Amino acid sequence: MKIPLILRIGALVVATTGFYTYVGQMVPQKEVQPPKETALGAEMTTAEMVKVGQEIMAGKGICLTCHTIGKTGALRFPDLAGVGEKAKTRVPGLSDVEYLAQTLYEPTAYVVPGFPPAMPPVNQPPIALTDQEILCVIAALQTLGGTPTVTMKTTHHYYDGTPKPGAAPPPAAAPKSIP
Amino acid sequence: MNRKLLIVLGPVLGLVMFAGAVRVASWTYAKQQPAPAPAAAAQAPAAAATPEADAKKPYVEAEYRAFPVVGSRVAIWAVAQLHLLFAAFVLAVPIFAFIVEAIGYKTGDLRYDKLAYEFTKLLSVSFSLTATFGAFLTFMLIILYPKFTNYLMSVFSPTFLPYVLLFFFEAFFLYTYYYGWGKFHPLVHLGLGLGLNIVGTGIMFIANAWLTFMMSPRGISETGAVLSVKEAIWNYTWMPINVHRVIANVAFGGSVAAAYAAFKFLQAKTDEERAHYDWMGYIGNFVAILAFLPLPFAGYWLAKEIYAFSQTLGLTMMGGAFSWLFIIQAVLIGNLFLAANYYLWLGMGRVEGVQPLQKWIKYLLIGIAICFMVWATPRSIIATVSEVRAMGGSSHPIIGYLGVMSAKNTAVNILILTTFMSFLLYRRTGKVAAVSWAKRGHVAQLVIFAATAIFVIFLGVYGYFVEATVRIGLSVPQVLSVLFAMIAIMTIDIFLFRGARKTGEMRWGRIPAISQYVLIFIAVTFTWLMGLMGYVRSGLRQHYHVYGVLRDQSVDAFTPTLGFATKVVSVTVLLFFLLIGLVFWISSLHDKPDFERKPKTVRPTKEPEAELT
Repeated sequence: MKIPLILRIGALVVATTGFYTYVGQMVPQKEVQPPKETALGAEMTTAEMVKVGQEIMAGKGICLTCHTIGKTGALRFPDLAGVGEKAKTRVPGLSDVEYLAQTLYEPTAYVVPGFPPAMPPVNQPPIALTDQEILCVIAALQTLGGTPTVTMKTTHHYYDGTPKPGAAPPPAAAPKSIP
Repeated sequence: MNRKLLIVLGPVLGLVMFAGAVRVASWTYAKQQPAPAPAAAAQAPAAAATPEADAKKPYVEAEYRAFPVVGSRVAIWAVAQLHLLFAAFVLAVPIFAFIVEAIGYKTGDLRYDKLAYEFTKLLSVSFSLTATFGAFLTFMLIILYPKFTNYLMSVFSPTFLPYVLLFFFEAFFLYTYYYGWGKFHPLVHLGLGLGLNIVGTGIMFIANAWLTFMMSPRGISETGAVLSVKEAIWNYTWMPINVHRVIANVAFGGSVAAAYAAFKFLQAKTDEERAHYDWMGYIGNFVAILAFLPLPFAGYWLAKEIYAFSQTLGLTMMGGAFSWLFIIQAVLIGNLFLAANYYLWLGMGRVEGVQPLQKWIKYLLIGIAICFMVWATPRSIIATVSEVRAMGGSSHPIIGYLGVMSAKNTAVNILILTTFMSFLLYRRTGKVAAVSWAKRGHVAQLVIFAATAIFVIFLGVYGYFVEATVRIGLSVPQVLSVLFAMIAIMTIDIFLFRGARKTGEMRWGRIPAISQYVLIFIAVTFTWLMGLMGYVRSGLRQHYHVYGVLRDQSVDAFTPTLGFATKVVSVTVLLFFLLIGLVFWISSLHDKPDFERKPKTVRPTKEPEAELT
């Protein structure tokens, strides 16, 4: 029995799209939810801040999209292993907290030699971490080869303890309002 | 079919369609009513009972409305994709119809004129469908995303009237170009074709400004207020998208036109028809692949501008949620290269005396297969915890090295170079160079090819031993060397085969039928690829309507899995082919013989005498 041409072509079109759909199912499946605002209390302990900071690094902060922890070889961005210790002496005159704050608020102020000046300021959209969230990230970074020292009351060059006007928007208003 | 049934069928179908449209509209309306909050629901009966309450009911502007069953995002996605696919076809066909017609005018070969006209016949119905889907998309945006649409309109309001005006001009040029075939002086007609292309490209550039603004906004304040419409239009990704789309549209349009020719070839009853449609399919595919070769370079530029606008956006694309999408893309592009080369190799059988060249095919195939495998190698692989532990990470200790950009850039450049060599082999089938410097010419071509391949591979390997800042920059000399090689080898080839001795005649139509299915496969793959890349371009914004400015607060703000995205792409592609099949059918009515009414059969009448008796 000869299959009509239109059916043969239809079968080819369906089989081709079916194959590509199948390939699409074979790759890792991940649904990315919009970042959730983390409730940060002023009385959080440093240990709690570290835990929150690690979550932010893997999620809302998208730090681990580029940075690795404990990898060597042809890296595109600096590996974060030991950064807690390195931060203390990386830039003369800056403490570890000040240096880590600088890398997050003003990443191109100091760029690790051999790497491109590619990191965006994390307090600005689209990442838009709040000052408190950045403190938690600093706490998490300090644990990588060092001991966390920051608290929710820690201040630095970019944060004097009160939210600045024009800085990262408050959690409820993360999107900029459109008039 | 029964004639009375046919007469009734038209109005009945019309009524069913109308009733269906009303039903869908009422269903959509019923579904989009937001459920009242519990407190409001408790007060609602009492409030609704008083006319005063009704009179004082405040006007609340909706931010979003829901589309039934599939949701607003999928509905917009499918309609936008269908609009874009038809728009790409409608923009691409005039480009090569114009080029083919110009070749016909210059050479005086009427075959080209006929071919250009045959391409143009597909335009009329496609243009109507493009406009219909465009209007559909606009209404869907206004209904489903009113606040966002309102914002875009406020930013780009100065561009809308020129857009409408250009659309009117496009309709004018398109219909005069189509209906005026053979009615004007050829140069006047070519002028109409040129006008059609300029206006069509202008329309696309305006629409590109809207969509690229969503991805890389510029010319606005921190709160989204418009500071400069010019900057909003000329944002980071506008020009790269313009260039990328012009090239991609030509590739896509060529492949769909080749698929049309393949369909007609398979339907053909005579050798003459088969010869014509074989030639048409070859030209369509030639245009598609020729446009496809520089496409990755335009893609590099676009990616570069995305990184220049926002490193976060670039990293989301290449290293974040969308990184695995590029493995799917590698499978598609690998298939396109394989199929395009296979078609060329099959086509070499059209000419006698091709055997000396055919021995090279196996080497080309090996080269393509290796490049395909390297390109489709993921950096990290799905593995169990014990497997990850055994490998010392999520990437394979050996194969993982092929998953980085140094290897992939090298693979794609060699793939392009290999396909180009396939073209070159096809081009010289049945010909022998007759110039005095033929041997030196061949050697020069071979040296350029080998030197470029070695240089590209060397840079790829070198990339593993240098810092990231140096490595990123290596892709530029790789691309430039391949471009140089293609231009240099082609230039030599043109002069080399001037006045060449023929060893065999080209016999159009003498090609295995499977080659025509390959053309259809290429068209489906191109379409699917466009759908996939459309998704990544739009999906990159993730939970933003306008990246970093206007956040998506709807229930669809999340980024779906790649599996889900590929299903939507597939459904859209199937719908497109169903509709393009309709376009082909309507276009083919033009060639059908006119309806001829059969002479009425005279019924024998009863003898009056018999009635009387």
